[in-house]
Amino acid sequence: MTELNVRFYPSQPKQVYLFGTCLADVLFPDSGIDAIEFLERQGIEVIYPDGQTCCGQPAYNSGYQDEAKQVALKQIEQFPLDIPIVVISGSCGGMMRHHYLSLLKEEPQIQGFCDRIFEFTEFLVHVLKIELKDQGPKEQVALHTSCAARREMGVHLTGRKLIEQLDNVELIVHNKESECCGFGGTFAVKHDDISAAMVADKTANLLDTGVKQFISADWGCMMNINGSLEYQNKPLAGKHIASYLLERTSESNPSNKGN
Amino acid sequence: MSVNQYTPDRTESKYTKSASTFRQNVQRDLANEELRSNFAGAMDYLMDKRKASFPSNDELETLRDQCKLIKQRALVKLPHLLEQLETKLNENGIKVHWAETINDANEIIAQLIESKGGKNIVKGKSMVSEETALNDFLQARDMEILESDMGEYIVQLANEHPSHIIMPAIHQNKKQVADIFAEHIDDFEYTTDVDTLIGEGRRILRDKFSKADVGITGVNFAVAETGTLCLVENEGNGQMSSAVPDMHIAITGIEKVVEYLDDIPPLLSLLTRSATGQAITTYFNMISKPRQPGEKDGPEEVHLVLLDNGRSQAFADEELRQTLQCIRCGACMNHCPVYTRVGGHAYGTVYPGPIGKIISPHQLGLESTKDLPTASSLCGACGEVCPVKIPIPNILLRLRKESVKDTKGGEGELKGAGSNRKATEAAIWKAWSLLHRVPAMYKVSMWFATRFRGLMPSKLGAWTSVRTAPKLAPKTLHERVKARRK
Amino acid sequence: MSYKFTQQSNSARSVILQKLKKQVEGADYDKLPAETGFTYPEISFEDQFTHFVQLLRNNQAKVISTSETELMDQVISELKARDISSLLYGADSPYSQLIEQGINQSGEQVELQDYDYQLTDNKDKLFNHTPASITSSNWAIAETGTIVRWPSQNEPRTMSLVPPVHMIIVDANKLYCNFSSLVKDQNWKDNMPTNALLISGPSKTADIQQTLAFGAHGPKELIVFVMNSPTDINL
Repeated sequence: MTELNVRFYPSQPKQVYLFGTCLADVLFPDSGIDAIEFLERQGIEVIYPDGQTCCGQPAYNSGYQDEAKQVALKQIEQFPLDIPIVVISGSCGGMMRHHYLSLLKEEPQIQGFCDRIFEFTEFLVHVLKIELKDQGPKEQVALHTSCAARREMGVHLTGRKLIEQLDNVELIVHNKESECCGFGGTFAVKHDDISAAMVADKTANLLDTGVKQFISADWGCMMNINGSLEYQNKPLAGKHIASYLLERTSESNPSNKGN
Repeated sequence: MSVNQYTPDRTESKYTKSASTFRQNVQRDLANEELRSNFAGAMDYLMDKRKASFPSNDELETLRDQCKLIKQRALVKLPHLLEQLETKLNENGIKVHWAETINDANEIIAQLIESKGGKNIVKGKSMVSEETALNDFLQARDMEILESDMGEYIVQLANEHPSHIIMPAIHQNKKQVADIFAEHIDDFEYTTDVDTLIGEGRRILRDKFSKADVGITGVNFAVAETGTLCLVENEGNGQMSSAVPDMHIAITGIEKVVEYLDDIPPLLSLLTRSATGQAITTYFNMISKPRQPGEKDGPEEVHLVLLDNGRSQAFADEELRQTLQCIRCGACMNHCPVYTRVGGHAYGTVYPGPIGKIISPHQLGLESTKDLPTASSLCGACGEVCPVKIPIPNILLRLRKESVKDTKGGEGELKGAGSNRKATEAAIWKAWSLLHRVPAMYKVSMWFATRFRGLMPSKLGAWTSVRTAPKLAPKTLHERVKARRK
Repeated sequence: MSYKFTQQSNSARSVILQKLKKQVEGADYDKLPAETGFTYPEISFEDQFTHFVQLLRNNQAKVISTSETELMDQVISELKARDISSLLYGADSPYSQLIEQGINQSGEQVELQDYDYQLTDNKDKLFNHTPASITSSNWAIAETGTIVRWPSQNEPRTMSLVPPVHMIIVDANKLYCNFSSLVKDQNWKDNMPTNALLISGPSKTADIQQTLAFGAHGPKELIVFVMNSPTDINL
C-alpha cells in the first residue's frame, strides 16, 4: 500500500475544483451540492468541471488497466488550472492521488496532478485549517472511514478531528472501527458471500454503539452499509460528512433552532 | 499404547486442497459457525498480541523499513548469495541440493532417507514441506513420517491441512482437538484440558523423537555469509528434529537466504513480534555444521534442499519480486477481514490469506487460482502490517490485470496469464471506458438513467441478497450544479 | 555422494541460477539504498538486567540470584523440591568442579551423570532416565530475556533440550543489551559453532486454542541461576 508520507499543504486558495465522483453524481448528488456550498461559505470559489465522469477505479480494480487509463487521462484534461482538486470520496481520492502515479507513470505531468488531489476532510483540516462552529443539538455519532481512504489518505484522523470540533457532538468509536465494511467495488458482487459476512459484522458493530447516525466520507462504503441496514430494517443510516458538517454549522437549519 | 495409523489418502480429507473450488469452500466455511468463532477468536488474540509488542510506532516503522531493505538487498543479490550459501555450507560439511519442482524436492528427500536406511522420520514445522506435499509422497513409499509441531500433529491426526502458516490447527478448538485425540490415540482419557492434551502429545512425540533416524525441518533464514540455517520456534520440535536423529534434512525456498549474520537480529525481532507478539520465541536455533569429531550429539549428516517451485517466476518481475520478501510471519492473515471470516482452508492453497493469494499463482498458475486475487476488498490491512512492507494490495491488482489480460501466453508471461479473461466482461469494461471518457455520452446516459430510474430493477443479483438496491437520484450532480449556477 | 538425484540437482542448480541471474545481471550493489536501524535509548546496565530477569519470569522461567558458594545448595534444594535424584552435567565444563564438589559435600543422594556418551546409542537413557540437567551459558541478552548457549563437546546441545528440567547458569557480566550488539561484539560471523542456541524460557506452545501450555517437547521448567547479579532480584 502506498505510504502515507508527510505532505506539504498549500495555504488557503481562492479557487478549487470539485471532483464529484460517479457514485455521488447519479446516486447521491446532495453530498456534492453540500460540499460545494460548504466550501463556498469558507470564501472559496468552487469549479465543477462539466466534463468529469469517474476516476477509473472500477476498471482499475478489476484488472482492466488500459480501460482505466483512458478514463483517467480524460479526467486530467478536465482540471487544467493549477489549483487544488477536492475529492468528496476517500477511495477515489486515493485512486487519483496515489494509483494514478503508477497507472500513468509515463505521463510527464502526472506528479503535479496527483499533488493537487485532496480528500474533502483532509482539505478542510490541513489546507483550510478550519474551525467549525457547531450550531446543532447534542447528539452522538459514529464514524466509518473507508479503508483505502484511511490507509492512503489518513482520513480517519481528519474525519475524527472535524467531528471533535463539533461541541455538541460526541463521537462513539465502534468495535473494530478500522475493519473493512466489505464493499471493495466489484468484490461485493464477485465475492458476495464474503462481502455479506463483512457488512453484517460492520452493521452489527455500528448498531451496538446505539447512535442514530453515522458519518462517512466515502459513498462506496456508505452505499454498502446503508443498503444493509435498510435491508435489515434498522433505524440507522450513514450521512456524508459534507452534508453533516453543512447541517451542523448552518444557523438556518431548522433542526438546529432552539439549541 | 500406540498412535493409530492415519490414512495417507488425502482424497478423503474433509478439506480438499484445491483453489479451483474456492467459491464452494467459502460457502461451506462461512456457514460453519464453530469455525467462524474459532478464527475470529484467534485473530483477535493475535492482533492484540502484535499491537502490544510494538509500543513505539517509530521503532516499528524504522524496523519495517530496515527489514524491507535487507530482504530487497538479498533479492537483488539472490543468485550470488545462493552460490555463496552453497559454498559456505559445503565448507561447513552441509550438502546442498537444488530442486525446480516439488516432485524433484520430494525425490531428493526420499532418496536421502533411503540412503540412510531411514524408517522413522520426524518432521518439525515446515510450510515448504506442505508445499511439496512431502508427507503424501513419503507415505506412498511406505515411509512413516510424523509431524511433530503440536499444531501440525493435530492436523495430521485429523487428516487435514494447516489452516494458518504459524498456527496450523487454529481452526480447531480444544474440544475438537480432544475429539481428534479420542478418535486416533488408543487409551486416551478424554479431557479438554489443554495442559493434559499437550502432555499427551508430548508423551507420544518424545517417544517418536527418541526413535527417529531422520529429522526434517524448514528454515526461517539461511545466512550466506556464514552458511547457517536458522530455525525459529517455541516448542522445540525443530531442535528435536535437527539435533536428535542422525540425519537432518532441511528444506526451504530459494528466497530465504540473507546476506549477513548482522541481518538476522532485526529480521528475527520483527518476525516474532509480527507473528505472535513475542519479543522472541523460546528457541532460536542456528545450525552451521553437522556433528563434528568429538561432539556427542547432533546429526552426522545435514542436507539443505533449495526449492524453486514458481519463485523464479515471481523473481522475473520487479513488482512481483516483492512477494519473495515474505518472512512467513502470518500477520497479513491475522489482520485480513476475509481470512478471519472464511478461514484458512477455504483458499484451497498451502499458503492461505493475503500472502497466499500472491504466492499461490506462481506455484499453481493463475488458471487454478483465478478466484484468489479478486477475493479481496483491497482494504489494505495486510500491507499495513507486513513487516517487510510487501505492497500486497498492489500486487493483487497486478495479478488481477495479468489474469484478465488479452494474451496468447507467450514467453515471459505468468503461468495462466489471461486465463480469467471473459469476452463479455472485457466488452463491458471497454464500453464502460468509452462511456466515461466521452463526457457528452456519459451525461446523456446518466440523464436517461436518472429519468427512468423507476425502471431500475430493485433486485441486483448478489448485491440485493443482503442489501437494498441503491436508488438513482432524480437529477445528477452535473445537472444540479448547472441549475445552481443559473 | 552418488545418489541418482545428484545429476538432476546439478541441472536444477544451473537452471535456477541462470533464471535469477538473467534478471539481476549488472545490478549495481553500490546503488542500494542505505539501511538505517532504530536508535534505542541508552539504558543503564541495572535496568537492562532487571528487564532481562523480568522477561524470563514472564516466560515462566524461574530466576534465582546465586554465587559460587550458594549455587549448589540452591541446585540441590530445587532438585529435592521436585523429588529428583539424578542430575546430568558436563564434566570439564565451566562449573563442573563446583558441581562435583557441591554434590559430594552435600551428603544428598543425588546421582551426578556425566554426558560422556554418544547420543546415537543412548537415546533411551537421555529421553527416559534423565530428569534434570545443568549447563553453563555463554552470554545473555537483555532486550528479549534470552540466554545464549554455544553447545560444546562437554555440554552437548541436547542437554538443554531433552531433560524435563533444565538448570542454566548465567553470568550477569556477560549480559548484552541486544542480540545485534552481541553478534557484532563477539564477532560471531568468523566463529560460528556447530550449533548456537538462544533460549528464552521453557518449551511452550499455544497451538491448541491459543492456550499457553509449557513443556511441549523440550524442558517443562527452566531454572536460571544468575552469578554476579547487579541488583537484588530475589524478591
